Amino acid sequence: MNAPLLLLTASAAAEAGRAAETAQPDPAAIVMHHVTDQPFGLIWSHHLVFFLAAAALVLVIVRIAIRGYRAGIPTGLATPVESLVLFIRDEIAEKSIGHDGRKFTPLLCSFFFFILVAALLGLVPFPILRHGHWGTLAVTSTGNIAVTAALAAISLLAQQYAGISRNGLFGHLKGLVPPGLPLWLLPVMIVIEVLGIFTKPFTLMVRLFANMLAGHMVITVLLLLIPMLAGVSAAMGIGIIPVSLSLGLFILLLELLVAFVQAYIFTMLTAIFIGMYAHPAH
Amino acid sequence: MSPFALAHLAAGIGAGLTIIGAGYGIGRLAASAMEGIARQPNAGGDIRMSMIIAAGLIEGATFFALIVTMLLATMKG
Repeated sequence: MNAPLLLLTASAAAEAGRAAETAQPDPAAIVMHHVTDQPFGLIWSHHLVFFLAAAALVLVIVRIAIRGYRAGIPTGLATPVESLVLFIRDEIAEKSIGHDGRKFTPLLCSFFFFILVAALLGLVPFPILRHGHWGTLAVTSTGNIAVTAALAAISLLAQQYAGISRNGLFGHLKGLVPPGLPLWLLPVMIVIEVLGIFTKPFTLMVRLFANMLAGHMVITVLLLLIPMLAGVSAAMGIGIIPVSLSLGLFILLLELLVAFVQAYIFTMLTAIFIGMYAHPAH
Repeated sequence: MSPFALAHLAAGIGAGLTIIGAGYGIGRLAASAMEGIARQPNAGGDIRMSMIIAAGLIEGATFFALIVTMLLATMKG
């Protein structure tokens, strides 16, 4: 497969689907089959279902949290949600953007909670009946580059909106290049900074996508060792089970940490980039 | 030996080189952060946050390389 990055998911899924039907499936194809988008029903796909589920779950969790206030005091689910929202407002938004960072808190909270819930949903194995036998489904919608591209596009718009609304269009463009620069450096710096507008959200996109994809890939590879070695001999298959399961559990726990860290990093970097464009160097 | 075998070999070597670079980078980062926290425990929170962000940036660059190796590893021969 020699596809460019954006076609990775689509073409790999198609090839994995074809390879899975042959008698001797390629291990790489099986792994790609498990981490890429697969059809689900007629018009749905795995990533679409889990994307909508994550978005709906965020809305439900937040509604429950809002109802959890008793005379202004958070109870139940409201306690963790409030502490996370306060953390995002005080430690991320106001520290990185400045005193006017408060108005970006809703956007940053949306990023944080959606990425967190989408990643955590991917760690839950949902039982599913397919082709007459039961299996499990653990899908992260942020493991699809289209989803992270959409998140990064929103981040890009927020960064440019912050710069333009605060400094005006002319001031925003002028602020891209640091002042006091020698004139001969200007053509180079303008190109670099204009590229920088797009590379910033591009790295956000690739970081989140690759993190989610890589975590699920490692878990799939570890669990795939069992049927692969069982094909060699029954004793090897049984022998690898404790190794495979304990390593898989370790990676699952690591993924739990990664879910929080990635949600934090995406939110934090978006806030830093917004702050960079809102308050360019004087 | 088909050229795809070389691609698979390159994917393995590339993944190894990627983890060397990332491990060295994040190791240096963590070592410096710990030194900083040991010298200035009051600034521990800020240093830890900056460390996580810098580690994220290193990781992001690492994943570019990792995706290239993934593309090589999933080549059909």
